[in-house]
Amino acid sequence: MFSVVKLGLLGAALAIGMAGVSTTSFAQDKEAVLKNRQETMKEQGKDIGAVKAYLDGKGDLAQAKTGAANLTQTTKKIPDLFPPGTGGPNPTGDYVAKPAIWTDWNKFLDAQKAAATKADALLVAINSGDKAAIEAAFNDLGKNGCGGCHTAFREKIEK
Amino acid sequence: MLPVLSLSAAADEMTRGAHLANAAGCEGCHTDREHHGQPYAGGRALATPFGTFYSPNITPDPETGIGRWSDEQFLRALRAGVRPDGANYFPVFPYPSFTKITDADARAIKTYLFSLTPVRQPNRAHDVPLPVSWRFLQTGWKLLFFSPGPFQPAPERSEAYNRGAYLVTALAHCGECHTPRNWFGATEPDKFLAGNPNGPDGKAVPNITPDPQNGIGSWSEEDIITLLKTGQTPEFDFVGGAMGEVVQNTSRLDDADRRAIAVYLKSLPPIRSLKKGR
Repeated sequence: MFSVVKLGLLGAALAIGMAGVSTTSFAQDKEAVLKNRQETMKEQGKDIGAVKAYLDGKGDLAQAKTGAANLTQTTKKIPDLFPPGTGGPNPTGDYVAKPAIWTDWNKFLDAQKAAATKADALLVAINSGDKAAIEAAFNDLGKNGCGGCHTAFREKIEK
Repeated sequence: MLPVLSLSAAADEMTRGAHLANAAGCEGCHTDREHHGQPYAGGRALATPFGTFYSPNITPDPETGIGRWSDEQFLRALRAGVRPDGANYFPVFPYPSFTKITDADARAIKTYLFSLTPVRQPNRAHDVPLPVSWRFLQTGWKLLFFSPGPFQPAPERSEAYNRGAYLVTALAHCGECHTPRNWFGATEPDKFLAGNPNGPDGKAVPNITPDPQNGIGSWSEEDIITLLKTGQTPEFDFVGGAMGEVVQNTSRLDDADRRAIAVYLKSLPPIRSLKKGR
């Protein structure tokens, strides 16, 4: 009997201890999550830029291909960039991740999946080498993929 | 032969009307997307500093929509901000911009709207306090702040400039969000497109004059065209929020219209924007 109570107490103590640990680490976690999120988005911007440069006749196809390949990977990771409790302004204070991301998580996932599918389509188009198809896929990814998410789930902070 | 001809003329008018209605963004405000409302059936909440307005049904339903409106009544609504029953609209309906739409374009928009499936959905009353809700006061507001009349092209300017001016000031009504408003909710003409610290839903709207510091002075015409086409900024970001909705419309314009908008915006006097909260 005694050992069972002792075990229970030990368990409770452990649980409290762990809760304590998880709340303190959570604040640091959030900071890291926000930083990682912004960096990933900026990376995606660079990859978009590589494709755009190719379409504008200012960059080469190999770099566009790498950019599109990266986008097929990073767009799939987006849900991991938004763990619960990480809303609010970004580290540089110019955008807010809206609460609707978490209150309407399935809709958010739909928007993310749309972006990922469109990134896949862009890579297919680039591999085909058909410039008109690349441009159409690129515009669709930007407007409806990236823009689709930003319209519903992101807000600009005017300074 | 004649019926065939007039049929294709009617189809042309409708296609033109669809293009114009898209440029004017009618569907955006007149659809309650958040609650999966029917297109153009109204009911979308528009929060303003004066209260919350609910857009009306503009499908051709005869009871709850605009199905019984004559061309004259439709033109008067757009041109003068007056309902068929003679009451004034609140300027949340951008008639101060739409007054500049040409008669032919307004008629084409009506033809398009009347081709839509009628939706039976009664209009929801606005949620605005007294005395704002007294519509007759709008008569005074109009005397002070409303200059009616169609768009006047500047003959000394290029065709692209004039087309852009017409799109920006009349149809696309850019100034309704991008121009700051005075205490009476009227846009301030000397700060045209210089940014609005208190835009729709209380959100700040950026300066789109060519000011190099806080406008879009560093943007090329191509940058503006790209933004209107795909929502992409020169930093390879993609706009969201209300402008994300607008891009759904501007992406369906043709390249000549997007270029015209860019030409016009680049030709505006640069204005340094206001700080947030004025």
